[in-house]
Amino acid sequence: MLPLKRLTAILFGLGLVIAFVPENTTKQYKLTAGEMLTEIQFGTEMVSSDELADWLINKDPSIQLIDIRTPKEYEQFHLDNAINIPLNQILEDEWVDYVDQGIKMNIFYSNGTTLSHEAWMITRQLGYENNYVLQGGLNYWTETILNPSIPSPYSADDEIAKYEFRKGASQYFGGDVKSSTSQSKSKASKPKIKRKKKKKAPQGGC
Amino acid sequence: MKTKYMNPYLAGVLLGLVLLSAFYFTGRGLGASGAVKSMVVTAVETVAPEHTADSGFYSKYAGDGKNPMKSWLVFEVLGVLVGGFLSGALAGRLKLKVEHHPNITSKKRLILAGIGGILFGYGSQLGRGCTSGSALTGMAVLSLAGFVTMMAIFGTAFALAYFFRRNWI
Amino acid sequence: MGPLIPQEIIAEGWNFFIAFVVGVGFGFVLEQAGFSSSRKLAGVFYGYDTVVLKVFFTAAVTGMLGLLYFSLFDWIDLNLVWVNPTFLWSAIIGGIIMGAGFIIGGYCPGTSVCALSIGKIDAMVFFGGIFIGIFLFGEFYEIIKPLYMAEYLGNIKLSDVLGVSQGTLAFFVILVALGMFYVAEIAEKKFPRKEY
Repeated sequence: MLPLKRLTAILFGLGLVIAFVPENTTKQYKLTAGEMLTEIQFGTEMVSSDELADWLINKDPSIQLIDIRTPKEYEQFHLDNAINIPLNQILEDEWVDYVDQGIKMNIFYSNGTTLSHEAWMITRQLGYENNYVLQGGLNYWTETILNPSIPSPYSADDEIAKYEFRKGASQYFGGDVKSSTSQSKSKASKPKIKRKKKKKAPQGGC
Repeated sequence: MKTKYMNPYLAGVLLGLVLLSAFYFTGRGLGASGAVKSMVVTAVETVAPEHTADSGFYSKYAGDGKNPMKSWLVFEVLGVLVGGFLSGALAGRLKLKVEHHPNITSKKRLILAGIGGILFGYGSQLGRGCTSGSALTGMAVLSLAGFVTMMAIFGTAFALAYFFRRNWI
Repeated sequence: MGPLIPQEIIAEGWNFFIAFVVGVGFGFVLEQAGFSSSRKLAGVFYGYDTVVLKVFFTAAVTGMLGLLYFSLFDWIDLNLVWVNPTFLWSAIIGGIIMGAGFIIGGYCPGTSVCALSIGKIDAMVFFGGIFIGIFLFGEFYEIIKPLYMAEYLGNIKLSDVLGVSQGTLAFFVILVALGMFYVAEIAEKKFPRKEY
């Protein structure tokens, strides 16, 4: 009977603890709604058009533009070196290497910001990092970078400086919207990535 | 009372640790009947390859360059064979014999063992695993199937015990 | 951390080697516990020897607690541990057939391998029976298939069915197991017993 008594004591104790300890439900690489809210509130996912223009002018190699609109819209106009991942395809295996990677900075854009934000939310919720949204979308890009409006002479200095930058950028990007379509058709190269290893589904059974 | 076997609770804990190490290393539990299934599939494939391809059951495990013998459970059961032999050798229990109750003859015992084996083999396929594969492993991961199978096996055996008592007591 | 092979912390090539080592441990413990004797195994159904009950439930509870504690300490990802799928009717009927096979044949597949390794001829015959049984299942698969596939509930856990946490269920299983152990001790005293 002694072994049984010992066993009883151990099992009862361990069992009691495990019954009242909260389960380890940490789901790796996933965000809670609260964490998402914090990110949105601080706008950490946003990239302003000026920032983007600066990076593009400096040919920052770590930038990957992703056009989230339909292929038709993409054909008509898209930013240089942008690749096209229509929103309804964002979860497809084909694109996983682009949207779930730790090397390049993906910037989603659409005409406004609704589609690109949706794409960001979906991928962020999956725990993918390095995805951002172009603030204001293409409309704002055209408005501020391609056709910057001249500030009134009484504007603050930094407004004028901004205008100067935008004017330069506008020239760099070809000024007018129509002429700004892609000259280079070269498709962006897939980042060579160290993607998190895909876990295998558990196996077993008789 | 003196016993020649290990204390059952200690053996149980050790068996539980073996099971846990299987989970920790490979993410899967123990099993036995699956290895016999691999043998059956291999045998059928050798004798009648076309039949194997036609069958909805065998074709799941054979063909397309699949080798049914190259399965986790086959290697695990080979280990059981070695482990059991080692333990038997250490304890001096290696002996070729038919173990049976004095009430019944060796022949009857062998016939019953054969019938029992057939039933167990059939049931293990229907129930997707035997005592070790479905009941023990299943209970450890708290699977519904594990508990259901365990209760069905032990419940039935208890319910039928009366009818087969002459063979055992 | 774990399980190591599905996460490729240990190379896939080690899988079969680990299977073999795990099997050696499995067979050794079974034999040490006396599972190589059909008369000892069948004893549980008549109360004269309850080693099956004790070893089986102690092992299940140990494995269960181990997994839950490993998960608690982040040593194992339970999402990568195989949970056998529940097909309700085939699990019940298959279990009933296995139960009949158990009381008639005196072994289960794992214990028969263990017993035949030390020279039990009845275990060899039982093993041959399993072979035939699986062959019959394979040959008449199409007939039984509707039952085999019925009531699929997924890779579901009992704790989800009952709506309790896994820890709570484990604690409950421990209480039931301990209760049975005390009953078993009483039964063994009550029924005269000779060690086989």
